[in-house]
Amino acid sequence: MKTASLSRRQRMLVLCAPFKEQRITDRAMRAAVFRAKKSEEFTLQQAFDRAVAELAQKTPVPPEVAEWFTKETTVAPPKRTWKTIATNPAILAIGIAVVVIATVFAFRVLERMSDFPGADTARKLLTTASSSRSVLLDPVKTEAGALGDLFFMKHRLDHYDVPPEFADLKTLGCRVFDDEEGHRVAQIWVIEKRMQFFLFPAERDPKTGAVRDFSDWRYVEQEGWTGVVKEKNGVCFMAALRGREKELTPYLTKAKQ
Amino acid sequence: MMGDPIKAQEIFQATMHEAALRAAQGELSKDRWWLFRDARGRCLEASESGMQAEEVEMEEHEIAPWAPEQIARLEPEQLAIWIAGAPEPQRSAVAFFYLDHFDHEDLLDLLDLKPGEFSKQIANGRQQFQGWLNSTVPHQSA
Repeated sequence: MKTASLSRRQRMLVLCAPFKEQRITDRAMRAAVFRAKKSEEFTLQQAFDRAVAELAQKTPVPPEVAEWFTKETTVAPPKRTWKTIATNPAILAIGIAVVVIATVFAFRVLERMSDFPGADTARKLLTTASSSRSVLLDPVKTEAGALGDLFFMKHRLDHYDVPPEFADLKTLGCRVFDDEEGHRVAQIWVIEKRMQFFLFPAERDPKTGAVRDFSDWRYVEQEGWTGVVKEKNGVCFMAALRGREKELTPYLTKAKQ
Repeated sequence: MMGDPIKAQEIFQATMHEAALRAAQGELSKDRWWLFRDARGRCLEASESGMQAEEVEMEEHEIAPWAPEQIARLEPEQLAIWIAGAPEPQRSAVAFFYLDHFDHEDLLDLLDLKPGEFSKQIANGRQQFQGWLNSTVPHQSA
């Protein structure tokens, strides 16, 4: 006789398995029946059960009783409570999906709210910073604040000045290059914390051409790099390093004191 | 459950009467299986007060391939009498199981049995019924 290999629990379930598939509502029962289906023992059991049920259905029922015997009149419909609705896998999956979408949406909104004109350019430059090697730069050993004159004299870049907060830091090198939009960008590499500075044109209103300025320092993050940006005279300055916001904050607070 | 159509009808009417009374008083039970639970309770009560079946060890036989053919030769009343003679909770388990009205969870709820106990009652009932079939309507080999 062909027998199925079943666990103890599955065997227990199979022994009392409903003989009609539509009565199998339980997942464990369905799995047990699926495994047992091909065994001869189970086939015999099901044939036996169906024959008994068929005989039971033939039990004569008096007419006065028969008129009551419909499922609609003897069984109340199952009550759908909040618990049953909430534990429904489909509802649960939709709920989780909605929470994830809402979280991503809220995150994007918060990110946009803290954005400033030129934030997109700043993020692109953080990517540049992460892939830059010091050998690409022209070696210049001086104070960062002194490079403003070099940029003006050599590259005709007006107002490309390092703010006083970072002006005293010693440099390793610098370069000037054009970004994807053809804007002139100055890049400075300093010794301290392997920090990099970027000076680039501030964002302008495409209709009026006026500079979209913003006050105070603004933070921006991209792939483990953090930058702090300030706009002055139509030029943005960004100090960038690999790390968190808290590593840049001391430079700004020190300057205020 | 009763093996006696007159008693069964009395119990059914008593249950429906109780349901009608509750409905009139606005006290319908929240239990969706109340009707079956009440009827079962009345059946057990009636069985206890009536004549008791003698307790005998029923022979258990493996389910035979020709069991459906043996069952087909029975009258429904014979099945009812066999079920009515089974001890509780096997009687209720077998009766509700073959009524083909409930799924597995409903049966456990209705009978207030654990899955293992319910499974045992049904499996034993099947083998005992096969034993009874073999002695009552023996297989006619060709």
